[in-house]
Amino acid sequence: MLLLDLIILLFAGGALAWWSESRSAKAPRWLALAFLSLGLLYLLGGVMQIPEQQFSLIPQPDNPQTWLLHYRVDWIPRFGINFELAMDGLSLILVTLTLLLGGVAVVSSWDEISFRPGFFQANLLWTLAGVVGVFLAMDLFLFFLFWEVMLVPMYLLIAIWGHEQKAFASMKFFLFTQFSGLLLLLAILVLASIHANNSGSYSFSYFDLLGTAMSPQLGFWVMLGFFIAFTVKLPAFPFHTWLPDAHTQAPTAGSVILAGILLKTGAYGLLRFTIPLFPQASVDFAPVAMALGAASVIYGAVLAFAQTDFKRLVAYSSVSHMGFVLLGLYAWNILAVQGAVMQMVAHGLSTAALFMTAGALQQRLHTRDMRRMGGLWHNMPRMGATAMFFALASLGLPGLGNFVGEFLVLVGLFAVNPWLAVIAAIGLITAAVYALIMMQHAFQGTPDPQRQLTDYGPREMAAMGVLIIGLLWLGLYPQPVLDVAQPVLESLLAGGAP
Amino acid sequence: MPGLQVPLEHVLMMAAALFIAGLVGLMVRRNIIFILMSLEVMLNASALAFVAAGAHWGQADGQIIFMLILTVAAAEVSVGLGLVLLLQRRFKTLDMDNANRLRD
Amino acid sequence: MNLAAMQGLLPLLVLGLGAAVLMLQISIRRQLGWSYAITVATLLLGAAAMEPAMQVAPLQVTPLLRVDNLGLFFGSLFCLSGAVTAVISRDYLRSREGENEEYFLLLLLSTLGAVILAYSTHVAALLLGLELLSVALYALIAYPERGTLPLEAAIKYLVLSGAASATLLFGFALIYAALGSLEYAEIAVQISAGRAATSPALILMGAAMVFAGLGFKLSVVPFHMWTPDVYEGAPAPISGFLAGVSKGAVFIAVLRWFLESGFFQYSSLLAGITLLSIASILVGNLLALLQTNVKRILAYSSIAHLGYLLIVLVAAGVSPEPGLAVEAGGYYVVAYVITTLAAFSLLGLISRQSGDREYDQLSDLAGLFWKQPGLAALFTVALLSLAGIPLTAGFIGKFYLISAGVDAALWGLLAALVIGSAIGIFYYLRIIYTMTTVGEQANPGTTADMLVGSRLVVYLLIFAMLYLGIVPEPLMGYLRTIL
Repeated sequence: MLLLDLIILLFAGGALAWWSESRSAKAPRWLALAFLSLGLLYLLGGVMQIPEQQFSLIPQPDNPQTWLLHYRVDWIPRFGINFELAMDGLSLILVTLTLLLGGVAVVSSWDEISFRPGFFQANLLWTLAGVVGVFLAMDLFLFFLFWEVMLVPMYLLIAIWGHEQKAFASMKFFLFTQFSGLLLLLAILVLASIHANNSGSYSFSYFDLLGTAMSPQLGFWVMLGFFIAFTVKLPAFPFHTWLPDAHTQAPTAGSVILAGILLKTGAYGLLRFTIPLFPQASVDFAPVAMALGAASVIYGAVLAFAQTDFKRLVAYSSVSHMGFVLLGLYAWNILAVQGAVMQMVAHGLSTAALFMTAGALQQRLHTRDMRRMGGLWHNMPRMGATAMFFALASLGLPGLGNFVGEFLVLVGLFAVNPWLAVIAAIGLITAAVYALIMMQHAFQGTPDPQRQLTDYGPREMAAMGVLIIGLLWLGLYPQPVLDVAQPVLESLLAGGAP
Repeated sequence: MPGLQVPLEHVLMMAAALFIAGLVGLMVRRNIIFILMSLEVMLNASALAFVAAGAHWGQADGQIIFMLILTVAAAEVSVGLGLVLLLQRRFKTLDMDNANRLRD
Repeated sequence: MNLAAMQGLLPLLVLGLGAAVLMLQISIRRQLGWSYAITVATLLLGAAAMEPAMQVAPLQVTPLLRVDNLGLFFGSLFCLSGAVTAVISRDYLRSREGENEEYFLLLLLSTLGAVILAYSTHVAALLLGLELLSVALYALIAYPERGTLPLEAAIKYLVLSGAASATLLFGFALIYAALGSLEYAEIAVQISAGRAATSPALILMGAAMVFAGLGFKLSVVPFHMWTPDVYEGAPAPISGFLAGVSKGAVFIAVLRWFLESGFFQYSSLLAGITLLSIASILVGNLLALLQTNVKRILAYSSIAHLGYLLIVLVAAGVSPEPGLAVEAGGYYVVAYVITTLAAFSLLGLISRQSGDREYDQLSDLAGLFWKQPGLAALFTVALLSLAGIPLTAGFIGKFYLISAGVDAALWGLLAALVIGSAIGIFYYLRIIYTMTTVGEQANPGTTADMLVGSRLVVYLLIFAMLYLGIVPEPLMGYLRTIL
């Protein structure tokens, strides 16, 4: 029940925030923050009650008892569709990240949104509810439903509160994800139909569909439907073109959620569904997928290097970092996959912080153009210091979370394909270049004496502090996260072993 | 005397010719009255085909359908003529091209 | 005609009687309120009469009509849709001067035609239903006195619809000449008895002409030209009736004819339908992109939706087990009728006519989200359902269609469906986006003073749409039992 409550809580919180708009312009943001904190506490409180040894159990597909939490009711028996939510270590990590970054997003939009703040917070919470649903759904129909539902409020966030080219960016975002979503729906239905032909009855349950026998050729096409849907979201080269526009034009909170969480749903889909459901096709396809990953790493880094728009730079760096995730997933050994999971979390934290910085800069300077910045450290030392920290995290400084993720991916990848590991390592070096260029253009140099800028206040520093602590923790003591994810990844690896 | 006295194909050919004549008239004519007349020709061509087929099979069904088609055609045309009156009153024309304001 | 037959035909009798009563009322004393009340009451009673009729189903009443669960279910759906149109029209007619009582009479007759179509198992019944539906609609389309568009639309519809009827009849005449029967079931018997072999060309040509005629009423490409013009010219409630009820009824009639007379055995016919379907999906969606009038956008979108629906026919023909396809078709029709009615009703309320034009240009909707949040939110839900976004009836319909397509392995059609839906999202979103922009343009038509009835009906439609999208199982189960 906890899982369902969590989703309902977020939906209800959104509705309440919308309603409260007519009472007070300040109420929605407090309500949103309150509901997100409540959700996080509720989740952690519920998880605390789960006995310790449950965490080390390897989740068995056919035994709900081995999962941390499991909830299921009949929904559409005609097609064997259930309302089935389940949580294992992987989902736990990602849901916690979602709620945490949701709070950061609310804080980052604190004074930014004056137009219809209630509806804004409502859309924010509904997006998060959809994302939580995506991370928990164990029925492919339900998964698809959440997958689509999270897009509509996200679209509205960009379309209503976005920057100058919001119409174009929001439309492009929606079309890309929707088209890939339709492919996903088609692929899910083909898979279910194959299963129905094999077993005589329809089912959309993940557990039933695992191990569905099908001809290699058909398997390849169905796998491709899943793969494209998830890599568009990830995004990987060549499906990434929606991302720079959407991230740049979205309001700050929208960018934080997009980069911090929504991209992870793509990686999660690959890890949870694509590879385990189609082990053989995935093995055959792995070289192509890894090549796309390596291309994304390099391509993203090179384009990030060429940007003058602060947000666009961060957006392209996301393409590069998510390339590591794709590489790690398709290397498909425990080290690389652990690295991919770690990279997902660390990238979520560091990019959220960088987008928040970009938003703060835009709010103060009314521009995102780095050529019109310079010397900001002088005006705003606190902002400069935090930006420096996250730029270093993003370039993969040892001791911070991103380093652990990328390092594990590279080590795991090296065992599978040394040449790709070398290429990806080059991407790491370019990351250092663009991250430092960003710092140099924006924060160093001669300050403009005319400028009167307010530095981060306590509210912003609190959000930044949470993210800094998170990254340090992941970098210095990653073991708890690795431990929580370990049994899940082992079971996934065992299911879809190459 | 049951059955059809002439080959069925011939009558169907005749009906088809009438049908096509009506269709061409419908497309070529611009005057609304002529268009309605062409429509009438098309409907009657189908009616003729029904009568011939009914006679061929020695059933009354074809003739019953013929009567239904007559009724339907009368209804269509009476509403059509009502609209023509309105058209004339508002546009002072019966030419469909002059009355074409709806465009893609 | 025994008692059981009367009981089976009760919905038709109620509608016919209601029309007679309404005519008497108008001739005795003109009073719009009364006419309205009689119409709505008749339509609701007609829908309720399904219950007693169901007790005698299935029952063949004369060779013309069959009382079975399929016909009864869709008959009552069309009655309810007619009632919705009547309620919305009441709001619409408020702003119109003159004597309007006949409007409701025409609406009632048109609905009767739709219900007859749902019952038809014979060419004569098909003809009667189709014409009753269409002839009343000609007058309804031309009803508004403002401007010249409605009149023009009506004449256009009359001429083309008449030509389509003639084509349809000619096709049936050819089939009759070849097989000697006008009854669907009898045609199937003759085909399977091998009588078709003597003149296959005649039958195929006949079937093609029948499809052309019916395809016109369904407005599938290339018989779609009239659709946007007529929808734009007609009053919004009538456009909704045309797009929802008229097309839904004709589709049910097509489904019956197609399945019962065994024409799906002709693979060239199936190939033709496949082409029509793909063309409708692509052309409908692409041309919708170019429109700036919301009614025209919805018109092209309805063309695309009928293209999706044709997949059902192909799937039913190809698949060895047509049950899933027919079920999918049934669900899609229900979802489509509800959604279309809701979209046009809301558009009608939003674009309340004022002066000599309706406020139905895309730019008229700018800022609606902030001026009329309730209406805009409901309209958004309707558009999302048309686009097939989850949690709405439209999504489950699309889900069903894809299942049927996958089951029958119709990859080409499915590709068209996916591409078409993706294009579709673009123009639905454009409407939603326009509503969210901060527009200065005030739309004098959008006032909050809609009648309670319209408000209630719109809420009910949206509720039904969401209910069918979230809890689809009851309807699915029901359709399974009746198909």
